[in-house]
Amino acid sequence: MYFDELKRAMEWLAGHDDTIFLGQAVAVPGTAMSNTLTGIAQEKLMELPVAEEMQMGMSLGLALAGQVPISIYPRFNFLLLAMNQLVNHLDRIGQISNFGYSAKVIIRTSIGSERPLHPQHQHVGDFTEAFRLMLGNIQVLRVEEPEDIFPAYRQAYERKDGQSTLIIEYGDYLSEK
Amino acid sequence: MIDADGLRSFEERVAQAFNDGKIRAPVHLYSGNEEVMIKMFQDISSRDWVLCSWRSHYQALLKGVPAEEVFSEIIAGRSISLCFPNYRMFSSAIVGGILPIATGIALAIKRERRVERVHCFLGDMTAESGIAHECVKYSTNHDLPIRFIIEDNGQSVCTETFPTWGMLASSFENCSNSKIVYYQYENTYPHAGAGVRVQF
Repeated sequence: MYFDELKRAMEWLAGHDDTIFLGQAVAVPGTAMSNTLTGIAQEKLMELPVAEEMQMGMSLGLALAGQVPISIYPRFNFLLLAMNQLVNHLDRIGQISNFGYSAKVIIRTSIGSERPLHPQHQHVGDFTEAFRLMLGNIQVLRVEEPEDIFPAYRQAYERKDGQSTLIIEYGDYLSEK
Repeated sequence: MIDADGLRSFEERVAQAFNDGKIRAPVHLYSGNEEVMIKMFQDISSRDWVLCSWRSHYQALLKGVPAEEVFSEIIAGRSISLCFPNYRMFSSAIVGGILPIATGIALAIKRERRVERVHCFLGDMTAESGIAHECVKYSTNHDLPIRFIIEDNGQSVCTETFPTWGMLASSFENCSNSKIVYYQYENTYPHAGAGVRVQF
């Protein structure tokens, strides 16, 4: 099941010493994503204020200092507020540093669910293609099926090229697949 | 450590190279703050992190990067984002861009109980931005091993910082926050370049 695979992937990531999960409703309930983190030790969960750009920059900073952050944006629309850090820094970290720095961040977001309640048009955005056009170095993956989920997160963690991965989930599939 | 005359000479050398058309990218030069910068770096160790904006030649030299290495990066066009991983130095040409990155590094240091600090240099306009207030607030309240060094020359490119905000002075002047270091200086160089129009 889609939800179960997400939970399995998160718990697998949490099993590595260098990972840290950060965002809003990470250490507390509040979003559909929160429910996938309930099995993770509190010391791995960093609850942040609502400050999307700061969160993305902090994720990059954590990665530069040797950690692997899983930076959580519960809806794609919220991730838009982090674009400066995402495009100008995380995606360009190699070029601006003459490939001296690299940063492996795992960014987790979701296309908001529309069923059974439609949260209206600021919460269901799907900007996948726009992000692919803007991000030349961050891999953008959509996890359509339950069996896509674990390999996507494992690849994002185990990749050796030092690059970051944006993984896009589907809110509706949490209850439908 | 390089002295004040050495810092000034370095910027003069860059200015000459720029005016001679040898650097096909922007440069942002310092002047007038050599003594305060040297004093600042007396409290920065080799294992500490230094994050800067687009104006960062002095920090690179004072962090210990050999002058020729800094100069060749500038000649290669990377003055505005000088990065030297071996010296734990990172720069960005986006206003406010380094602040949350610095905050994240400091958070990692604190979580891992490492004996390092982060020193984040920012200008007066950046200091008034929303991202600065978020990062200073977060770092202060969580007591992260970081200090924000605000360098106030009163200008952002050619815009006067405080009149545009409807303020008389910086929010951080006379600030009692131990995470904040604030100083004023007058830069005799323009925002970008070295005062001569260069035609390529």
